[in-house]
Amino acid sequence: MTAAPTPPIGAAHPGGEIVIGVRNLTKHFPIKEGALQRVTGQVRAVDGVTFDLRRGETLGLVGESGCGKTTLGRVVAGLSEPTVGGVYFNLDEASKSRLDTLLNSGGTPSAEESAELDRLDSAHRVDRLQGETWRAFRRNTQMVFQDSFSSLNPRHLVRDLVGRPLRVHREATGSDLTERVVELLEQVGLGRQHLYRYPHQFSGGQRQRISIARALALDPELVILDEPTSALDVSVQAQILNLLHELQKDRGLSYLFVTHDLSVVRHMADRIVVMYLGRVAETGSTADIFESPNHPYTEALLLASPDVSEDEESEGFRGLEGSVPDPARPPQGCRFHTRCSYATASCGWEVDDVVLRLEDIPGMFDHLEAVERKSAFEADLRFDDEASAGTLAATLRSHAPAAMEAATEVLEVRGSTVHLRFTAVEEVQLTARGPGHEAACVLEGLPARR
Amino acid sequence: MTVASPGPSPAPTRQTPVVASVRDLKVHFRSKAGVVHAVDGVDFDIRDGETLGLVGETGCGKSVTARSFLRLVPMPPGIPVSGSILFRPRSRCSMCDGAGCADCEQTGRVGSVCPGCNGAGCPECDGSGSETLDLLSISERRLRDIRGNRIAMIFQDPGKALNPALSVRDQLGEVFYTHRSEELLDRAGLDGRTEPGALMRRRAAMQSRGLERMLLAVPPLRSKRNALLAAADTMVADALAETQIPNPRNVMDRYPHELSGGMKQRVMIAQALACNPDLLIADEPTTALDVTVQARIIELINQLKERHQTAVLYISHDLSLVKRVCDRTAVMYAGRIAEIGDSEQIFHHPEHPYTRGLLEAIPSTTRARGRLAAIEGTVPELIDPDPACRFAGRCPHAATACRETEPELHATQGGHAVACFLHHPPPGAPAGDVPSLERSGR
Repeated sequence: MTAAPTPPIGAAHPGGEIVIGVRNLTKHFPIKEGALQRVTGQVRAVDGVTFDLRRGETLGLVGESGCGKTTLGRVVAGLSEPTVGGVYFNLDEASKSRLDTLLNSGGTPSAEESAELDRLDSAHRVDRLQGETWRAFRRNTQMVFQDSFSSLNPRHLVRDLVGRPLRVHREATGSDLTERVVELLEQVGLGRQHLYRYPHQFSGGQRQRISIARALALDPELVILDEPTSALDVSVQAQILNLLHELQKDRGLSYLFVTHDLSVVRHMADRIVVMYLGRVAETGSTADIFESPNHPYTEALLLASPDVSEDEESEGFRGLEGSVPDPARPPQGCRFHTRCSYATASCGWEVDDVVLRLEDIPGMFDHLEAVERKSAFEADLRFDDEASAGTLAATLRSHAPAAMEAATEVLEVRGSTVHLRFTAVEEVQLTARGPGHEAACVLEGLPARR
Repeated sequence: MTVASPGPSPAPTRQTPVVASVRDLKVHFRSKAGVVHAVDGVDFDIRDGETLGLVGETGCGKSVTARSFLRLVPMPPGIPVSGSILFRPRSRCSMCDGAGCADCEQTGRVGSVCPGCNGAGCPECDGSGSETLDLLSISERRLRDIRGNRIAMIFQDPGKALNPALSVRDQLGEVFYTHRSEELLDRAGLDGRTEPGALMRRRAAMQSRGLERMLLAVPPLRSKRNALLAAADTMVADALAETQIPNPRNVMDRYPHELSGGMKQRVMIAQALACNPDLLIADEPTTALDVTVQARIIELINQLKERHQTAVLYISHDLSLVKRVCDRTAVMYAGRIAEIGDSEQIFHHPEHPYTRGLLEAIPSTTRARGRLAAIEGTVPELIDPDPACRFAGRCPHAATACRETEPELHATQGGHAVACFLHHPPPGAPAGDVPSLERSGR
């Protein structure tokens, strides 16, 4: 079977009904310390993510581990509550545009506006839904987890596992339930003979089929697939991806496909959201993301993913320097600037970048006594001797990346203290790069690949 | 199974000496349901300085094969049925001191001379004249000298493979104490032979016991002990620095849980390469890592391999990665090798239906969206299998012959070896019983 090439976003689902709208979604997890469990910080797992998902569409969510993609999936599924912002369900075009106007108006809303927003929230925002609408949301949003071993109760028979949603929502009982389960199993390529078996009697691929059957039991609109194939072998992965593809065609399902595997997402998704440290780095149609990435992180991901069909020497296969920064203290400006090979002076260089650099100079960290911050961009670094302060200043002057140097406004040594100030910048926002293509990068476009 | 010639691979690799050869390796496991034939007759050679990829799906026996090299397969439940793993330790060439000369065939390293025949070639050394050890039958004591020293291993999950109770310093130091105690004494400026040399020698080999430790902590000996510890620290720091860990002295005092996944894997690699092994076994070294980190680790392994001239057995389920990394590739299926040859050949002209299926199943950039060519069915049970091609149940070309006899690995025109009747029809079988490409739907 040959499928048509990926239609551009906007053409494929232009007026497609919005299944779920995510607005400024933020999820922070408190860090608790000490005997009293005092909250000492927040891990900013998801930080202001906005997107729409339309009927029949597959939205790919990609990023490294710890970038917040799984948390985002869980919040969308209603499994955990957002800290700020929300997931909106059942939005029609009129209330969607009204909602967007209200949310983006800026300034203090008038009493009427807040009342209207409150009304929209209570009718559509997932964490405020109650009663019948809440149940409708739960029916229509199902999830398939990565590890089918831990997401299927080992003490339950397949009939109970797949029939559970039907029972909870009082759809069927007794022999009727059995027949419905058989029907579902047949749709995912299993059969009646599998009804009375336990999960451990199945292979990984089969267990994932059972998870999918369970997710489909209530005929949902949206299925959230959290790395559904990353625990499977390629040949089985292909079977599951084919199955998901067919089910989508037959039932008009929408998928939120969370994965770290770019070749899978390229195969499955209509649109892609690339996340880095809780924020959207780039979003656009699959073709946009793969053909003309506009964010250095997207490019880095593409370069790091080996592809069998590619010729070895064709492109530089290379990884990223450094590690993912601490999401409790995300970098200023662009969160990716610490690892970016195109970083410029306006990418948000800050005091933390200098402190991290200290760790790479042998013995320097031990001489550091205190960092007195005036802001994220300005601080006094106090050392216990003058030599260390001098060494740091010299290292910063000679070995710092050019972009960091350009962003340095003040670099003074006063005795054993180094005074530092960088140009303060705002957090980089998503900007349009083409129809439906946005990227959060200070550069207009990436230089030609080296 | 007869040992088929590995095929006419390009001339340069053909001449490079073989570091290790696996011959008819069979490892079975006892289970309640019967005997599981996890590895069932595997043959391959690893040549000096090359990277051999071992790919296959979960449960195909690739990890068991790799672990057999160091006898890390637990017995029981494992049963060593038959076969041998011949290992030829190599050392720096004395003629050219590693620079490469005619004597060592430009590799800079030579095999040790076989003690049985003094280099003339005897059955014990497989006729090669160089010292050959069968890793499956040598004594445990002998094997300890080889483990981590001549053959080292990188495991899949560095979080599990590193001891959480040891700091990086202790973890890595152990390698030097175990295998490099002489060098440690040298570096510390101590003479191991003079009195109280025995004490120091035992300390350097980490064999000091209760009372000895107390003695070593007393001033006259303390300074010598500290010199020894400092020498070990330097060696550890050097090993860490080689894996591009920034500020190794700082990392040395940390425990595995304080390090990121990529960092832990670097520590593992530092540990594996600490003794400059002849053979490095990398068992899915990047599966637990992110793609961006994975790319860095692969670069690192490649660099270090070039520098140390180490042969690498690279195990992975990720074909695209193996294509990038390996010189030669062996595709395993259900405990046997389906196809082996140069990576170029395997990936561009796969000949076994299983290899072809695997390659087609990977979502790729050049193929249109839509159906992927999945291999239907599942991996067969390996409990007391019938003598048949293991892939017959899922193969689009399978014929009667495939279900009755087991194909053996034979060289093909394509320059590699394939175990499939498509390429080597069993002698005397009627034409209708033999698989053919025309008959299948492909």
